[in-house]
Amino acid sequence: MSEYKRPLPQITEYTQAFWQAAKNGQLMIQECRRCGHKQWYPRPSCTSCGSLDLGWRQSSGKGSIHSFTVIRRVVANSPDFQRDIPFVIAEVDLDEGVRMYARVEASPEQVRVGQRVKVSFREATPEITLYTFSPSA
Amino acid sequence: MTKIFVTAYAETPVSRARVDKGEKKLTIEQYYAWALNMVLEQTGLSLSDFRGIGVGVTGSAYPRAEIWSAEVVQNLGLEPRLLLRGDHGGANGAALLVAGALAIQAGYVDHFLILGADTPMNITGEAALTWRYELDYLMPVGMMGPNSMAAMMMQRQIHQYGYKPEHYGKISVSQRENASKNPNAYFRTPLKMEEYLNSPLISDPLRMLDICPFVNGGFALLLSRDTVAKKVTDKLVKVAGFGSWHNLDASNSLKDITTTGVKNAVKQALEMSGIKLKDIGLFNAYDDYTPVVIMQLEDAGFCEKGKAGKFLEETDITYRGELPLNTGGGLLSYGQAGMAGGMHHLVEAVRQQRGEAGERQVKDLRYSLVTSVGALEHGGTFINNYAIIFGGE
Repeated sequence: MSEYKRPLPQITEYTQAFWQAAKNGQLMIQECRRCGHKQWYPRPSCTSCGSLDLGWRQSSGKGSIHSFTVIRRVVANSPDFQRDIPFVIAEVDLDEGVRMYARVEASPEQVRVGQRVKVSFREATPEITLYTFSPSA
Repeated sequence: MTKIFVTAYAETPVSRARVDKGEKKLTIEQYYAWALNMVLEQTGLSLSDFRGIGVGVTGSAYPRAEIWSAEVVQNLGLEPRLLLRGDHGGANGAALLVAGALAIQAGYVDHFLILGADTPMNITGEAALTWRYELDYLMPVGMMGPNSMAAMMMQRQIHQYGYKPEHYGKISVSQRENASKNPNAYFRTPLKMEEYLNSPLISDPLRMLDICPFVNGGFALLLSRDTVAKKVTDKLVKVAGFGSWHNLDASNSLKDITTTGVKNAVKQALEMSGIKLKDIGLFNAYDDYTPVVIMQLEDAGFCEKGKAGKFLEETDITYRGELPLNTGGGLLSYGQAGMAGGMHHLVEAVRQQRGEAGERQVKDLRYSLVTSVGALEHGGTFINNYAIIFGGE
């Protein structure tokens, strides 16, 4: 397998559970055990009540495209994406009520605002499996 | 209440460091020195007159010493009582202006000198320092920095409000006309709508001419307490009001990505200044991208949210028009000097208030509004939102 040349996330004490779950094909989002607030991206405290007591909840992996763009130029720190151009990145609103940025595996003509999408996973390295979305029925 | 006046301003000519075209390639330290020197020349003051003042220095997008503001004053021979560094992206200049005004009102200093410079064109093959959330959750999935985020805001605007490419193009074309009258602007050749429409898509629906180009440049503004301002100049520009808001709607995970916190900042600035929006004769809005200008037109209240298309069709936004917008050309045509870019909007408003804008001078100008946004927000628009009003007695 060739060397992975794209930017990778840093795994920290409070995000390792997320990345471990991703390796098992599960999309997790943070949920506050005190007030029930759900949030993405993972943070060390609840942005609604400040509690440090955060748990994980498995997302259905289903959502809608809030907005999207077709990438036609890469920037200096992501040259390896050049071979994928053009490709689609979207803001996906998960049905659980959080928004995440993700790749949409579809040609630009197939993507529209409001479209339903579903998560799948692609292994990048032994440590990191990245989430990605594709159009659902 | 203490009144605060802008008593000096400076804006260096900018460069894209194209040595092959005979352009200068100066360092960030040189731009700081040049901007300060312009203030000394304009005011006739000497460095010793600046002992014990406040100094604010903008950040830089590229790796610098963590103790940057101290290095800047050491390089320049400044001896300030108060020393601050901006950390607010596009809103660096406005944030330092608010902090400086508060320091003067508190009685801690009589003057506050804002210095801003950045040299993004000197960096090759090296990425700007970025946010942890971008490194972890944006770049790995293929996001290409601010262009991708602005493109999604624009896509959503088009979806919600039906805006057409020509609406965005009008901003680009009108600001270029303003820039054609600004000798300091980098891009001064007038632009046709057709050229805008034919400019290549970079990140759909964002075209090349929706995006501001980087330049190297330097700026300065001097704020002074009312009791000492007249000793500096008789061309006083009053800071009539200001407002700011950060991280609006902080815990909302599903924000409207067509709205900024500028609405809160402008409301506060108008209340402080005691004027109405209709009194504003010039509007300089942060313009890293054309859709961001549209948001600020709406959020400031010049038109309703979602009605900017019609507003742009009916309104002349050049320096001659009903609502002069980014009269110096804005970042789209003047250029964006990295993290100091937002200083351009403030300096241009001050120059216009002094009646020193030459061919592009707005006639009978009483009040100017500058809005600045900075720090792209995860799943939203901008974290930092500022409004500054200049004018009045």
